[in-house]
Amino acid sequence: MNRKNKTHQDPPGWAERLLARITAPHIREEVLGDLYELFQKRVQRYGYMKARLLYVLEMLLLLHPRLWRKQAQSAHLYTKPTDYSTPNPLVMLSNYVKIALRKLNRHKSYTLINVVSLSLGIACTILIFTLVKYHLSFDTFHANQDRIYRIYTELHTEKVTYSTGVPSPMGEAFQGGYSVAEEVGRIAFFKKRVVSVSPEKKFEEDIAFADPDFLSIFNFPLIQGNSKIALQERNTALITDRIAKKYFGTQDPIGKLLRVDNSLSVRITGILQNLPPNTDFHTEIYIPFSNLQEHSPWIVEKDWWLGFNKEMQCFIRLKPGVSAATVDSRILTAISNKYYDKEMAKQFRFKLQPLADVHFNPKLRGYTEKKNLWTFALIGFFLVVTACVNFINLATAQALGRSREIGVRKALGSQRGAIFWQFITETGLIAGSALIIAFGLAYVALPFVNQWFDIELSLNPLTDTDLLVFLLLLLLVVIFCSGAYPGLILARFQPVLALKGKLSQQAVGGFSLRKGLVVTQFAISQLLIIGTLIITNQLRYSQQADMGFRKDAIVILPVPDNKKSKINTLGAQLSEMSGVENVTFFDTPPATEFLGSTSFRFDSRPKAEAFNISIKSADHQYIPTFKIPILAGRNLNPSDTIREYLLNETAVKSLGLASLQDVIGKSATINGRSGTIVGVIKDFHFKSFRVAIEPLCLTTWGEVYNSCGVKVNPANLGPTLSGFEKAWKAMYPSSIFTYRFLDEDIERFYKLDNMLLRLIQAFAAIAIFVGCLGLYGLVSFMAAQKTKEIGVRKVLGASTASILWLFGKEFFRLLLVAFMLAAPLAWWLMDRWLNNFVYRVELGAGIFILAILITLIVALLTVGFRSVKAALMNPIKTLRTE
Amino acid sequence: MKGTQLGEFEEIVLLTIALLYDDAHSIAVVEKLSQRLERPISLGAVHRTMQRLEEKGLVISRFGEATPERGGRRKRLFTITIAGEQSLREVRHIRNELWEGIPKTAFDHLT
Repeated sequence: MNRKNKTHQDPPGWAERLLARITAPHIREEVLGDLYELFQKRVQRYGYMKARLLYVLEMLLLLHPRLWRKQAQSAHLYTKPTDYSTPNPLVMLSNYVKIALRKLNRHKSYTLINVVSLSLGIACTILIFTLVKYHLSFDTFHANQDRIYRIYTELHTEKVTYSTGVPSPMGEAFQGGYSVAEEVGRIAFFKKRVVSVSPEKKFEEDIAFADPDFLSIFNFPLIQGNSKIALQERNTALITDRIAKKYFGTQDPIGKLLRVDNSLSVRITGILQNLPPNTDFHTEIYIPFSNLQEHSPWIVEKDWWLGFNKEMQCFIRLKPGVSAATVDSRILTAISNKYYDKEMAKQFRFKLQPLADVHFNPKLRGYTEKKNLWTFALIGFFLVVTACVNFINLATAQALGRSREIGVRKALGSQRGAIFWQFITETGLIAGSALIIAFGLAYVALPFVNQWFDIELSLNPLTDTDLLVFLLLLLLVVIFCSGAYPGLILARFQPVLALKGKLSQQAVGGFSLRKGLVVTQFAISQLLIIGTLIITNQLRYSQQADMGFRKDAIVILPVPDNKKSKINTLGAQLSEMSGVENVTFFDTPPATEFLGSTSFRFDSRPKAEAFNISIKSADHQYIPTFKIPILAGRNLNPSDTIREYLLNETAVKSLGLASLQDVIGKSATINGRSGTIVGVIKDFHFKSFRVAIEPLCLTTWGEVYNSCGVKVNPANLGPTLSGFEKAWKAMYPSSIFTYRFLDEDIERFYKLDNMLLRLIQAFAAIAIFVGCLGLYGLVSFMAAQKTKEIGVRKVLGASTASILWLFGKEFFRLLLVAFMLAAPLAWWLMDRWLNNFVYRVELGAGIFILAILITLIVALLTVGFRSVKAALMNPIKTLRTE
Repeated sequence: MKGTQLGEFEEIVLLTIALLYDDAHSIAVVEKLSQRLERPISLGAVHRTMQRLEEKGLVISRFGEATPERGGRRKRLFTITIAGEQSLREVRHIRNELWEGIPKTAFDHLT
């Protein structure tokens, strides 16, 4: 048949397909054939177009129940069954399952390796899925959450700084002048305040002052009390159910009085439902915003537009149809222009941040970045891939052993599809049991993950449909990813060759594919190892590097009341105790995660400097306590008001002065208060290593001291601390004594990184383990294949080492190839991660060499264990088996 | 004897199958019939009739060779059975009897 000719003379394909679909199987071939023949004749007689037309016409005339009626089962029927009966896969299923169970039972190590590696991979993926989903679900339960925004501040000076807070009049200005928002809710958060039920019963609690609108913007329902009037009346409070239980037990909390920070008495008028775990609002006590004036007047100074505090926030819900971009460009700009002079309006810019961004924007104190979540998702994917790779490797390696079974099946009439589905059933059994085990593992591991991350995840596929769907999808993907290729290989066997046992490993195909897969596994393991090593190095560097000040054995105590007399007495008492070396009072310890900055006018320069400077207020003991070196000039003199300033080196450099001596004795106006610069201190890291050291000044300003740092002798800590507690409690009877260590504080900067590290370590370990299982399986298989070869070699005088090398060289080569792939990728990824840190470790060759060594050793152990066994086998035994 | 009752079209088709003897597949039947009757016959009609005949046991069918002009599909070849032959003969017999029973004068006045 002329192929070209044929394509030109085919009847309309759609009609043929349609007909094939509706026609009963027993007459399908005949009908189609008839029409085709008729068509061919008509093409010659009438031409192509007309023939097509007639084809369709003829088809229409064929339409009749007889066309699709099933073959009649009458006794008169002489027709033989046609070849069109397709095997019913469901009928065969029980057979497939039976064969699969027998096979899995016979090859126990194969089954075990597959189930273990798959279940480990899947368990990690389940955990990662839950984690990612948990973070993505943050604050998504509020009605109209896509219209909820937070107003934030961008301060444009030499560089841009961001703050979650806004100047306190912002809420009113926004509400009063513009009608784009349905609700405007101001809220001021205060961390760790003292809330007392009675003088004896005190608690340290986070509190918030909020507008009534806050409750209508966010979905925090009241379970007792009236939400319409909640937060409206002064001196009232809402608390959550948890707090109510904690404070009052079973008593009715409504109407009870609470005292906040000894400055405010409030009456409980409503009980909020406990906060869900997936919200960034952790405050459990809400007090009307109108009470803020009495509690902290400094934060709500009227018309004070020049300052903002990160805790003074403003949430709004826009009207439907109003876009955030319009609000940004029109209204918030108008507010800047209205309340600031021209110069300042350029610096103060306000924007809207969508609620969905709050959890993920690290610039605005979001918990994490989405990037981290995707990293985890990627790792989960890697783990599943590694496990699937194991499966494919082992299954293709074993395929040869099944050639006889496949041969018999094919000879008895099994078709490719049937064999393929048989294998998929087998995979399904393994994957299904792995999934069940994995779920169990994940369930057991969940409390630990929760503890690490300080979160509340839960696993319940019955109530969580997302999880259920994910599990089912995962199962399907795993089954098909790992089962499809080996299934196709098996189905492709030529029955004659298979029965004769003449299939070679090459014919089974895929040694090169298996190599590729092993390379993938090695590469993933190496990538994770390199990542782990680098993150460990950087974190160790961040936490152990010299930050420029002394941080060990320094206890920090809160100072609830910084009246001069109290501070002096407390200071004197503390320094008299044994084991105390220095005592200092200050507002912030040397290193904090956040520190605001302010304007700076130097000497007689007419304008403020283009850069901003951060202030630390501390007494004259700060420098000796933290051992901050003074490079020029002298330490601050004791004082309670701002008289003198110390600058750091960066500040001097930013001023454009060459010599440190140039600033000594000059005047400086910082944050509107002037003083004399008396010295220059060496730069120290006053934020985390992520950011560069910025200009900083130190001054004495007694009003804002809120902490006390004590350098203690670590040898005898216990009695010292209890001595502190006694003295402190005597001084502040209405407050709660707490203390913390500076170095722990600094460690907290890297909390998230530490978690990341621990997780990646765990995942790397699992990936390596799973990879090893696969390798072990492969080597066992190779050893079984090569039994005879090894025997012959040994008889001919091969040494054990050369036989080991026979196994090793292949894997060694694969490992090197994997390294070629993994190293550049890891370098690129980790370089990007390290770019988050201004002060960072360098990516040396050492880490990469270490990584390849680790994989090499692990691979050697795995391969070696099995191959030594094979190499030591007595050749008499191996060669006799014929 | 409901099963062996032959309709008019069935009879013609059955006759054609007998006539074509070894090459009686539907296309051949259609062509033969169109030639003789000088009107187009639809494949569908022939098809259905042949199926019916088979169900009545008047013909049996087998598959022929697959040929390129049929797009690689096999044709179904029909052969008349003894029952088929009998029913044809019966019909013919009835007709003959009817013919013979017509009085000679019946057609005379027509001319």
